[in-house]
Amino acid sequence: MSSTDSPAGGDRYVAVHGSAGFKTLQRKTNSFLIRASVLFFGWWFIGTSLAAFAPGFFRQEIAGPVNVGLLFMFLTFVVVVTVCASYLRYAANRLDPLTDQVRAELEGEPR
Amino acid sequence: MSTILADPPPPIDNTWAVPGIAIPATIAAAVAVYFVVRSVRDSVRTPDDFLIANRRIGPVQNAVALASAPLMYSTLFIITGHIALNGYDAAMLLTAFTTSMVLGVLLFASPIRNLGGYSLGDIFAMRAEERSARKAAAVVTLLIYGMFTIISLAAIAFIFNRWFGLDNVAGLGASVLVVGLVTVLYAYMAGMAGVTRLLVFKAILTLTVVLVLTLLVLAEFNLNIFDILDKAEANRKDVPAGYDLLGPGREFGEGQHRLVHLSKLFCVAVGVAAIPFLFMRNFATTSGKDARRSAGWASMIVVGIYMCMALVGFASVAVLGPERIGVIKAHRDISLPKLVDELGGPVMIGVLAPIALLTIVGVYAALLINAVTCVTKDLNVARGRKPGRADELKDIRRNTLRIGIGSVLVGVAMLPVRTHIFIPTSIDLAGTAILPAVVYALFWRRFNTAGLKWIVYGGTALLFFLVIFSNGVTGPEDAIFPGHDIKFVDIEPGLITVPAGFLLGWLGSISSKERDDAAFAEMQVRALTGGLAPGVRKDAARAAAAAAGGPGGQSPNGAGPNGRGPAPGGPDDHGNQTRTPSEAR
Repeated sequence: MSSTDSPAGGDRYVAVHGSAGFKTLQRKTNSFLIRASVLFFGWWFIGTSLAAFAPGFFRQEIAGPVNVGLLFMFLTFVVVVTVCASYLRYAANRLDPLTDQVRAELEGEPR
Repeated sequence: MSTILADPPPPIDNTWAVPGIAIPATIAAAVAVYFVVRSVRDSVRTPDDFLIANRRIGPVQNAVALASAPLMYSTLFIITGHIALNGYDAAMLLTAFTTSMVLGVLLFASPIRNLGGYSLGDIFAMRAEERSARKAAAVVTLLIYGMFTIISLAAIAFIFNRWFGLDNVAGLGASVLVVGLVTVLYAYMAGMAGVTRLLVFKAILTLTVVLVLTLLVLAEFNLNIFDILDKAEANRKDVPAGYDLLGPGREFGEGQHRLVHLSKLFCVAVGVAAIPFLFMRNFATTSGKDARRSAGWASMIVVGIYMCMALVGFASVAVLGPERIGVIKAHRDISLPKLVDELGGPVMIGVLAPIALLTIVGVYAALLINAVTCVTKDLNVARGRKPGRADELKDIRRNTLRIGIGSVLVGVAMLPVRTHIFIPTSIDLAGTAILPAVVYALFWRRFNTAGLKWIVYGGTALLFFLVIFSNGVTGPEDAIFPGHDIKFVDIEPGLITVPAGFLLGWLGSISSKERDDAAFAEMQVRALTGGLAPGVRKDAARAAAAAAGGPGGQSPNGAGPNGRGPAPGGPDDHGNQTRTPSEAR
């Protein structure tokens, strides 16, 4: 299976893929995504499992009608907004400038 | 997930509907939507205009449309009664939906848009042999389309029953037919651009309704949320096991049974993000950055709505008391209209009826565009058809009518069947057959055609096998065949099939010698940067279209002739890519 009709273009992807700029961009993107995913999905899966298997803990009252479970639910909503907002900010400030560089390298005239 | 269709007796005693207001309001809404859609009709001149709005949907509009599509009958209307009846455990479903939206932001939005393309097949074809990739994409996309369409159309019947007080079968069938055909007309008129407008219109109305409802219940309890929760607990409908409303237990239960609800939550959390008609919308945005932004904003909007809906759910039992809410599973969707009747009176019921219909119309219109895109870009290529340039748009429009009208007829015919199992099954299918394939395609060097086939066909076969032997098909009285009992799967099959999908993809890939490092490099570079190497793609017209939609500053060498845009062909069919579609203008 050939990758592209133009060997030069195909090589270019491979070259960019191996370039330092792309590696940096990839490392920064993936490390943020992995940390954010582990934190967020870990939080949600642990909380949901607690609701299923340790309901006594989630039923403990905190203030008035609010129990640990309701607090978890509220915090989950807050965490969703936080994760999304921090990803958007991180991507705009840290990733996009790098992306533009790598893209220029990719799309520029052949050297 | 929720029951949309289960309609076993006893019938409800509808004392709140006011068709005298609801019917004129619905006609007015239909006309308003017609003009909203028509306002973009003239911009549709090419197939790209029709299918992906020529990638001109800006981030704000896309965010609202993205937030709008998941607001369905189940997540807005049934969920209220579900929370009123089952309390905490039902509200957990809302967190599962938002979790899935985070997955969409982190994994799907920006890479998918950066790759360009139109359909799931375009993504698959970058890492697998083209025809197999497109066939697999078409199979899974159309399966989900079919199931989701049938339940969406059935939801229309329920809205006519719950909000208009219509209760004869012929009338309900005719109503579904009319609303369905009008939706097809909207999609036919202006394609993706029109559907996006429709979704934005729907979102604005839905947001208003949710806000008004929230304010009404807050006013009822003097802005004291603790009062609402206290009263909800005091008014709870007692269940035999004796669980509180505000704590876990009513759905989770005890022992092995706890896995049932846990598996439902898991499937929603991993599956919804991968439903094609929801995430394909990202192709229509102006750039990868805008897709990412709009997905992030959409999640925030949805979080706001779901927090309000959780409160409204608890408030409805607080206001109505244990006997007036819907107290059986099939009646969960009557709690909301009763609450509206109590707090807002008949005028509000009448005004809300068309908005309820509009939520479904929006979902079905988005589904239909997705199906048409799939048929045009995946199915036709998989079957070796290459439509001529001049009449491609005409073909697409004709397909819209054919698929749309055909689906509406099937939907009407399926009304008497209890197909509520289709919702969780289509979500499971997305998580099983699409999520692993997309993850591997983006991140795994070794992924190949065999891996893709194993995921899509193996995963789908396993899922349907498990579904046939689960609750929705036989066993309980709301199953498709309630008289029989062959079930042995109690949990949501997705808990098994989603990990199985990943496993199958791995096994399939390593079982085959096929390996294409260059295609992997291309995929990763393009997904991350949105760039395209010069001289690689011959589809310059598409590139021009993409460049027209892309914001400035992204392309250092200007809107050059180098194709920056979708790679409709797989890595191995560039011989065919000289066919340029008719987008150039």
